[in-house]
Amino acid sequence: MINLKDKRILVTGASSGIGKSVAILASRLKAKLIIMGRNSERLNSTFESLEGTGHEQFICDVTDYIRIEEIIQSSVKANGPISGFVHSAGIEKTLPLKASKNQFFREVFDINVFSGFEISRIISNKGIFNSNGASYVFISSIKGKLGEPANIIYCSSKSALLSGVKAMALELAQKKIRCNCVLPGIVETEMVKSLFNSIPVDAKEKIIAKHPLGIGKPEDVASLIVFLLSDHARWITGSDYVIDGGYSAQ
Amino acid sequence: MKKEDFVNELADYCEFGKDGLSLNTPLKDIEGYDSLAVMSMIAFIDENFSQKFTALQIKDLSDFNSIIKLIGEEQFNND
Repeated sequence: MINLKDKRILVTGASSGIGKSVAILASRLKAKLIIMGRNSERLNSTFESLEGTGHEQFICDVTDYIRIEEIIQSSVKANGPISGFVHSAGIEKTLPLKASKNQFFREVFDINVFSGFEISRIISNKGIFNSNGASYVFISSIKGKLGEPANIIYCSSKSALLSGVKAMALELAQKKIRCNCVLPGIVETEMVKSLFNSIPVDAKEKIIAKHPLGIGKPEDVASLIVFLLSDHARWITGSDYVIDGGYSAQ
Repeated sequence: MKKEDFVNELADYCEFGKDGLSLNTPLKDIEGYDSLAVMSMIAFIDENFSQKFTALQIKDLSDFNSIIKLIGEEQFNND
């Protein structure tokens, strides 16, 4: 049985989707959560769903690095070091190449990639992470390995996480910090609802049909993430975990 | 933008075959009209009219006139 007792875990993008599910599941497994999100109402809904006490919530933009650093430092000072980080904040942009302007790449990479690496940098400072060991989990996507038409921006951002995390894993191993990626297929989240609204119905049906086990639920991915956060995964770092209902088996 | 210019520019952007293209040409009959073209149309309208439509809104449109109606006739300066 996975137990996250005595672990303080920071989750970005905790207002909804996979971030929300992983926060709730980790709280059931006795972790103390530091949750971040942009939407106060939805973040509070996650916060109220957490089991146990000692959790913290912060409404913030994950690209506001000065504020993020202040939050992390004051939280650690008040409640102790961080043992886990889940970067679940992410946005999606479906555009054909001709409309994929540099500005859109920047918007997506800022949130999907750069903020995750920046928060990792902040947590990896001495005294901030738990010196007994820590685990960082980044939510990439199966689209980080496989392409999809009109999805160059999103695919490349999720792919950037894969190689960045491997380099980070090698560098941080000496600090007993493990770094891994999970690569979900299509999961029922607000972001996917928005994606399905932005693409033609036949394209949506084709995507769903490519998942032999159907599209996933956030809880399906959360189960894998809490394993990676736990001490059961103590020998796992620099790895990618596909969890896609069979999408990539074809 | 004139309606005829709109048809031409949209066709260029989406790389549609332009032979015999008019305001009344059924979209489904246009060479190159597919799901990727729909996404290009959405991007073109966003870039030129600052209006964001979804594929669901676009899918039932029959011809260029119906696209113009969706964007708003007042955005065009002929007729």
